[in-house]
Amino acid sequence: MSEAPELPSDEALAAEHAIGLLSAAERAQAERRMAVDPGFAAHVEAWEARLAPLLDEIDPVAPPASVWPRIEARLPANDDTVMLKKRVSFWRGAAAGSLGLAAASVAVAVMLATRPPTLIAPPEPAPLLNASLKGDAGITPLFVAAYDPDRKALIITSLVPPGADPVHVHQLWLIPADGKPRSLGMVEPGRSRAMPMPGDMAPMIAEGATLAVSVEAPGGSTNPDGPTGPIAAKGALAKI
Amino acid sequence: MAADPLVEMMSQVAAGDRAALRRLYEATSAKLFGVCLRILSDRSECEDVLQEVYLTIWRRADGFEPAKGGAIAWMSRIARNRAIDRLRARGPLAGAIDVSEIEIEDTAPRAEALMEAAQDRGRLGDCLEELDPRTRGVIRTAFFEGVTYEALAHSLEQPLGTVKSWIRRGLLKLRVCLEP
Repeated sequence: MSEAPELPSDEALAAEHAIGLLSAAERAQAERRMAVDPGFAAHVEAWEARLAPLLDEIDPVAPPASVWPRIEARLPANDDTVMLKKRVSFWRGAAAGSLGLAAASVAVAVMLATRPPTLIAPPEPAPLLNASLKGDAGITPLFVAAYDPDRKALIITSLVPPGADPVHVHQLWLIPADGKPRSLGMVEPGRSRAMPMPGDMAPMIAEGATLAVSVEAPGGSTNPDGPTGPIAAKGALAKI
Repeated sequence: MAADPLVEMMSQVAAGDRAALRRLYEATSAKLFGVCLRILSDRSECEDVLQEVYLTIWRRADGFEPAKGGAIAWMSRIARNRAIDRLRARGPLAGAIDVSEIEIEDTAPRAEALMEAAQDRGRLGDCLEELDPRTRGVIRTAFFEGVTYEALAHSLEQPLGTVKSWIRRGLLKLRVCLEP
């Protein structure tokens, strides 16, 4: 065999997944990797796009009329997921409005102003961190957060109008460098809240850590290791 | 380019509009059934796959990004993946076909038909034409039938590494040819 050049192995794997050449185990592994490795996912998507014109060659075959009623019967009678999506997009609209944002900034500023006065020559205070939590396509934040390392308190403000969704609760998550979500508790719509961070949690609140809010049934996520419901908003902590 | 009516249906489906899902089904189910049948060659299994596919579309329509490609490509990806998952459940050699089918697929000189198809397929078609017939045949078979390297090697009576090498070289040529 001559030594003709091949596709680099990482991209080859992505192309092979896009084509559908991988074994069951390799496929599962590739899907998991796509979820955590955006470079790999981009390779797979690029190859899917390159090969997509081949789909034009496949002749349509009308499925039997019995299939649609079977699909319709399996659509959830009161689709919770879709209701949630609608509500999330409603908030996106409702929270856009400088009034809400201005009010929230004031609220955060007021809470930060209550930082206890230091009587003796103060050491340089640790820098405050803040985050704007936005929805997928959102420009305006749905939640704003600030963390005061001296007080070890996280101040979170919800810009979601109260009463917009009485059926669900909003659970705040911290996703530190290790990538594992930790629940920080619930956030009431339209309210600000200062959350004292326990000693083991405080070091995880650092620049670059992500804060996210998921929409959950009352009582919060049933999964202790992460959200059960959809993520309504997220944002990374940065120095002010 | 004219606005894709499927994209509009997708956004309605994402908002929970059942009537839009019905319209989307009417517009696209024959295509997706065809995609599935190429891989599974089993109508009854593909009817099941079709149900799973549209329920997945119903749940995930909000994740569709028109900028990344057309709606039909997005839906076809779901259909192919579901069909391939089922094929894999039959075992690693599932879908292995007669070697003659691979050869015939692309080496038969149906010049006019090929010319037409190449025009329709645009640049990918042109670039596939530039590959040697064996490589082209193997890549096309892999895509349409959704078979594993193992099944291809078995069909072609070639070592696994050889078939892998053909495909990986062919893919590099394809990528270079498709670069803008």
